[in-house]
Amino acid sequence: MMKRIQAELSFLRALIGVNLASAMEYRASFISQIVGMFINNGIYFVFWIIFFNQFGTVRGYNMDEIFLLFAIVTLGYGLGFMFAGNTRQYMAYLVAQGRLDYYLVFPRNLLLHVIFSKMIVSTVGDVAFGLIAYSFTGRFTLVEMGLFLLTAVFAAIIFVGYSVITGSLAFYMGNAQYASQQVTNAMLTFSLYPNSLFSGASRMMLYTVIPAAFVGAVPVDIVRYHDGRLLLLLAGTAVLIWLLALALFYYGLRRYESGSAINVNV
Amino acid sequence: MSDVVVNVNGLAKTFQVKQKAAGLRGSVRSLWRQNTREVTAVSDISFALQKGEMLAFIGPNGAGKSTTIKMLTGILYPSAGQASVLGFTPWKDRRKLGYHIGSVFGQKPQLWYHLPPEDTFRLFARIYELDMAEFQKRRDFLVESFQIADLLQTPVRKLSLGQRMKCEIAASLLHRPRIIFLDEPTIGLDVVAKQQIREAIRYLNEQEQTTIFLTSHDAGDIESLCKRVVIINHGRLIYDNSTSALKRQYLRRKIIDVRFAEPLTEPFALPCVETLKQGTHGLKLEFDGRDVPVETVVQQVMATKPTQDITIADPPLEEIIREIYKK
Ligand SMILES: Nc1ncnc2c1ncn2[C@@H]1O[C@H](COP(=O)(O)OP(=O)(O)OP(=O)(O)O)[C@@H](O)[C@H]1O
Ligand SMILES: [Mg+2]
Repeated sequence: MMKRIQAELSFLRALIGVNLASAMEYRASFISQIVGMFINNGIYFVFWIIFFNQFGTVRGYNMDEIFLLFAIVTLGYGLGFMFAGNTRQYMAYLVAQGRLDYYLVFPRNLLLHVIFSKMIVSTVGDVAFGLIAYSFTGRFTLVEMGLFLLTAVFAAIIFVGYSVITGSLAFYMGNAQYASQQVTNAMLTFSLYPNSLFSGASRMMLYTVIPAAFVGAVPVDIVRYHDGRLLLLLAGTAVLIWLLALALFYYGLRRYESGSAINVNV
Repeated sequence: MSDVVVNVNGLAKTFQVKQKAAGLRGSVRSLWRQNTREVTAVSDISFALQKGEMLAFIGPNGAGKSTTIKMLTGILYPSAGQASVLGFTPWKDRRKLGYHIGSVFGQKPQLWYHLPPEDTFRLFARIYELDMAEFQKRRDFLVESFQIADLLQTPVRKLSLGQRMKCEIAASLLHRPRIIFLDEPTIGLDVVAKQQIREAIRYLNEQEQTTIFLTSHDAGDIESLCKRVVIINHGRLIYDNSTSALKRQYLRRKIIDVRFAEPLTEPFALPCVETLKQGTHGLKLEFDGRDVPVETVVQQVMATKPTQDITIADPPLEEIIREIYKK
């Protein structure tokens, strides 16, 4: 068992190494992507700062909760898709274009191999931004920092799991690429707004179909109120989302049709 | 028998293909009414392959060759039938099988595009959990066999097609697979590159009894590598026998090329013999050995004028294959 895990880790390390090397082949683009994402997040952030200077609070969130929300979402998103980049944009595409062929002939866990075969370089900017944003929250007790990191990791797990779900739709409805991307984008966008802005059906949606609440609002409350029950709920949700992701992916695989598109590993 | 590497029984695959009427109107209509049509890519094929065999698996475009390979390598689930490769059911024991098979798809490169082949080789060593010392020995051996020493450090995007393909095949052999599936490995290559690849494959087969499952549209590949040919068309197996039997069976046609010492004065004509070409000193004839015996034709030719040279040849394998495909 120990040996299995070791072999798996050594494989993932090599895969990530190759990814990184491939991404760095174009150094200028590598750096500009990271910086670009950093600036991109910054602009969004400045908007909220101006907003709060005007209005003070938004339904129970004040400035520092917004910082916290930003910190968790961007760190979670960055950690998730830094190495698991294939799910972020390409999974539906890989399925629809028959590009899983490449992974299927290897004696490796298919989903792990697919997920970790692409790095999204710009996410380094997200991770850095998330950490810096956290430093603005002024929450420096050990418990709060621990909860912050823990919930960000859960957010990462949920982000990736959810994108496996949307990517797997391609097994069932063919060209799901666009839909899959839009839904993942929507999850990110909604997660960055204070939860209390939504009510009724749209609020319901953020806890189910597009589970944005679990990568933003719920983690924020966990850190704010040191809420253990909520943390359990978050963990349970992560497990649930992954069970659904695995089921959809592996059941869908039986319907996989391959294809004749010419592919390259970039 | 324990030496059976591949055993296929009644294997079939049908795809559901969406149909759409032409134009925008068709696209709009297909939004709510999906018409699907069944395409039978492979239907009910059976064959077996022994250890160390080199099989040419051929057929015209769309015959179902790639689909068959995809089922045997665990990429596709079949619609019906059984297959066993090295004792495994490919689509069920995909991972276990993966350690022992190699595959090269001429149209789907496995090497990382922006990185030198060496990097992908190292990744493969991890993928197959090879011992590092063993891996290096193996790599050196393959680098030697395929003559790719000076390509290893160049990013793949800067390699020519032939150079890349040699590296692709070498990569697929790093883990000493017991069988390798090659789907059009020589597509688009020049004669020299083709030759090098054929030699390396033959060498591997001799040295390690690696079973070879090859598809190709190049009769040269088949002739120089494979003792056995399986032909499929429209998803059905239509021929399974030795390459030489294939030639014998379909090679009743002969081609005679004659060079005369004196100019020909009148057109040459003989019943059942087709005159392909007639010049002042040259004559090219084609006929079926069952209609007229070779001796008769040769006698008739020699009676016409004194001859300088006569060659009797079989039509090339490519022509035979064309004949079979036409049926
Ligand atoms: N993913 C797919 N979806 C739908 N139909 C497919 C798919 N893959 C193959 N087919 C169909 O199945 C048939 C066999 O295709 P296949 O790719 O196996 O042929 P092939 O013998 O490899 O041909 P070629 O020599 O052109 O490579 C073709 O009619 C093709 O259109
Ligand atoms: Mg093919």
